[in-house]
Amino acid sequence: MTDETDHSRESRAQDDLPRDETHPTASHEEPAEPRGHRADDRAPEGPYPPTEEMLEEPVDAEVQKEQVARLRKAWQTPRGWRYISAVNNTEVGVWYSLTAFGFMLIAGVMALMMRTQLAVPENDLISADRFNQLFTMHGSAMMFLFAVPMFEAISILILPGILGARDMPFPRLSAYGYWCFLIGGIFVIGSIFFDSAPNSGWFMYPPLATQAEGIGSDVWLLGLSFIEVASIAAAVELIVGALKCRPPGMRVNIMPLYAWYVMVVGGMILFAFPPLIAGDFLFEMERSLDWPFFDPERGGDPMLWQHLFWIFGHPEVYIIFLPSIAIAAMVVPTMARRPIVGYSWIVLSAVGTGFLSFGLWVHHMFTTGLPNISLGFFSAASEAVVIPTGIQIFAFVATLMVGRVKISLPMLWIAGALAVFTAGGLTGVMLALAPFDWQVHDSYFIVAHLHYTLFGGMVFPVIAGIYYFYPFLAKKMMSERLGRWSFWLTFTGFNICFLPMHLTGLLGMPRRVYTYPGDLGWDWLNMVSTVGAFILAAGILTFAWDLVRPKGRQPQVPRNPWDAGTIEWTHDVPGEAWGVRSIPHITSRYPLWDQPKLVERMDAGRYYLPDAEEGLRETLITTVIDAKPIQVQRVTGPAWITLMAAGFTGGAFILPTFSLYAPAIVSGAFAVVCILYWLWTATARVPEHEMKDVGLGLRLPTYASGPRAVGWWAMWITMLGDATAFASLIFGIFFYWTANTSFPPPGATHANGVLVALATVLLVGAWAATLGARETNRRGAVPVARGLLGVALLLTVAGGASLIISVLELEPTTHVYPAMMCALVVWISAHLIAGAVMQGYCLVGSIFGKLTPRHDADIWNVTLFWHFLTISIVVTGLMIGLFPRML
Amino acid sequence: MSDPQDHTPQDHTTSQGAKPPPQGAKPPPQDERAPRTDEERRAFAEERESLWRITLAPTAWAMHFVVSYGATAFYCAKLAQTGLSITVLRLGLGVLSLVVLGFIAWIGWRSFRQWDVRRTGDFLNASGLAEDRHQFLGHAAFLLAIISFIGVVFSSMPFIVLSSCL
Repeated sequence: MTDETDHSRESRAQDDLPRDETHPTASHEEPAEPRGHRADDRAPEGPYPPTEEMLEEPVDAEVQKEQVARLRKAWQTPRGWRYISAVNNTEVGVWYSLTAFGFMLIAGVMALMMRTQLAVPENDLISADRFNQLFTMHGSAMMFLFAVPMFEAISILILPGILGARDMPFPRLSAYGYWCFLIGGIFVIGSIFFDSAPNSGWFMYPPLATQAEGIGSDVWLLGLSFIEVASIAAAVELIVGALKCRPPGMRVNIMPLYAWYVMVVGGMILFAFPPLIAGDFLFEMERSLDWPFFDPERGGDPMLWQHLFWIFGHPEVYIIFLPSIAIAAMVVPTMARRPIVGYSWIVLSAVGTGFLSFGLWVHHMFTTGLPNISLGFFSAASEAVVIPTGIQIFAFVATLMVGRVKISLPMLWIAGALAVFTAGGLTGVMLALAPFDWQVHDSYFIVAHLHYTLFGGMVFPVIAGIYYFYPFLAKKMMSERLGRWSFWLTFTGFNICFLPMHLTGLLGMPRRVYTYPGDLGWDWLNMVSTVGAFILAAGILTFAWDLVRPKGRQPQVPRNPWDAGTIEWTHDVPGEAWGVRSIPHITSRYPLWDQPKLVERMDAGRYYLPDAEEGLRETLITTVIDAKPIQVQRVTGPAWITLMAAGFTGGAFILPTFSLYAPAIVSGAFAVVCILYWLWTATARVPEHEMKDVGLGLRLPTYASGPRAVGWWAMWITMLGDATAFASLIFGIFFYWTANTSFPPPGATHANGVLVALATVLLVGAWAATLGARETNRRGAVPVARGLLGVALLLTVAGGASLIISVLELEPTTHVYPAMMCALVVWISAHLIAGAVMQGYCLVGSIFGKLTPRHDADIWNVTLFWHFLTISIVVTGLMIGLFPRML
Repeated sequence: MSDPQDHTPQDHTTSQGAKPPPQGAKPPPQDERAPRTDEERRAFAEERESLWRITLAPTAWAMHFVVSYGATAFYCAKLAQTGLSITVLRLGLGVLSLVVLGFIAWIGWRSFRQWDVRRTGDFLNASGLAEDRHQFLGHAAFLLAIISFIGVVFSSMPFIVLSSCL
């Protein structure tokens, strides 16, 4: 279907609209207009969608030239030493992916050291302790510093292009996330150079890890928690980007599959990472305060860590796999030169895998002695997840079969990925059967399996993606010859290294041993694996050289070197920092194939936001389902404050490793000040005009609050993750209660019930006052709103104090029951501090004119935070005050 | 063309062309292309619901999974010593499975009707029209219902086959 018939059809539809004067607001899927807000206030005005005649109208050449100059100025990337203050997705994305790749190379060197040690039996090249540090860091770095950040990096880099957006909705958040990642990553990986790296394996099982000497375990816990926070920030950014920053007309059924995957994976991060953060929180309190969460002698249970870790750890595997396979979903149709076969089926696979992957975690714990029926549930789900995973592979193969395939470099790597991943998937089906798993648990068979899935599911497709998107990013091509060398070295080296490990494992070699005796039949297998590892390394190095070698003399690429159909290939050559010259109206899954005049019109600035009259960076916000334009979002530009905020946040996480608690608190306070300054100066500013002409006769509001604002969505998504972490703590309480015969122990001291009840009432009152402030402010009763905010602040402080006093008599080091009650109070108290800061921020905002009855995005977001917080407060009140007394 | 009405929520009930309007809400009369407001509202409510419906079947699987796992863990840790027969647990979970399977089948049926492939013959829904989006969401929800159904059957196997906590 051509876009012309689409347009004429839709435009005919417009003529038939009912003339309903009471509902001239934007599309139906948006949440209802906040109460007290006039319906026509700040509603989009003008025609949409654009007609063919409107798009035919040429843009005056002189106007075009002025627009280009203004846009270029607004989006100019800082030069010289100021370059690092850049926040544009193209800069941050490149730094992010290169940093992750650098960590990957370091972790790869660790693997080579281990393979060298294992090449011959009874080798003494590396000591046992150094070996423990190496395998722990290899796993941790590959997972936390390479695989997950690489997804975020690549998505930040290409998602705006794929969606025809100027940038991500929160560029400074991306930059902040990147700097946190860099600081945390260097801290974690650097520990190995001081012989103080964690050495208990990448999943840090207690009691080994809790009782490990030195600071290794703390480095792992604090450093990686810090990075997880950055990951969640990126997930929030990416979900909001995919939901709200699509180009007009890109309804959910024609959105590129990459965006579907980003949404699913972002959602998975929100439910998978928080349990680990909760686990880290408990673990670090055991390490630093001796609260016995995982110590069986005082009622704790090491199994709780295993549950929390793998509730994170298994979805994590799919969090790594899905975005990489999303790259395949972009490459395959281009290389097959036809639309993807089974679009809906791939969406099903992505969403289905996202759900099912949360029912697999215990298959890492098949040998821990859980009841067989329980194991059965996880075995069943592990087999069920094969179905959606397989469907994706079949959809790709079907597309390739019915298309006219061109074997180019990206396709070659995708083919390698499919082969390797399928092999890993098949051993996965075997391992999902508990009796088989009992035989090979903790053997080299597992090592082989997990490397097959991760290489096939992540490394190969990501390299394919780099070859594919390189012309988009660098406006140059990578070398065909080096690429083929790299592929065949990597592919053969990989198989020579890991295929024999299946046998090594079946012959009984356990993983994580630093050496082995020579007469067990493992010698030659290990030697073969070591040789393979070095061939593999040669392949990766060839790729790395191709990636970074100077390409100055090479000509620039044509705009669409692969003849792809998706809109990132309308990029400007030579590159421009503005993303797209104008934001197009999209009516097809492959607009470059189906909408013939699209590129020409985008370049001419015929579409939306072709100009930057105010000299501000802007992008278009559209509705979630149908992508109707509803707002112009001012996005933030280069800043040093994000760097400073990241530095101080890093201090708050890193200093406690060395038991420097006071400096850590000071650093944390500075981080808060930096973030507040950043929010105050750059977010939800009162605009100079309420409405703005965005082109094609459409006028859009420049400010939004409540459910229409991207900030509100970001808060919603963040709090969903936060709620998951809290739910993990509550899960912990029920876990102790079922697994332990004395929880709470007989005659235990409980929290003071009266004070707990009082705290709950006061804090619910604080929530009500905040909500009341929002409502009265919107109705124009500003003094009342300020008064209510002041009251809310006082109630928060009083309630928090009451809650803390209620547990002062408990002795958390004596037993896990008081420790768990105190942990809940610590958790809530930290959130109350944040909640009080937010109330104060709104109060000050109201006094200084940042928060007005018409411009109230801040208080909407704060109220949303308090909705979630109030639920946790009530649950905590019940858990501390009521539940233990009932048992 | 150029009036604010273009932002009125209209969508799939008013866009017309080769395809008939989707099912679900009462279809507007043949000769009346502009539906009345109440019909519209019902249609939007349905559209919102269809977005939820995509996740409804997998959520049902997840609830079934959590309850099965939690109930088994609780039974084996606390109730088994009290002498309560495991048959109670197995029967209870069996009834739950049937209820959940029935619910998922109902979701699947509604999504199948929303997809409406028998009438339109369109398996791709690849264009940027409102009814394509509507039917696509039906198709996706339908496929997810199938996978969730299989998932629930799989998750029911352990307590059908195994009869002890060991």
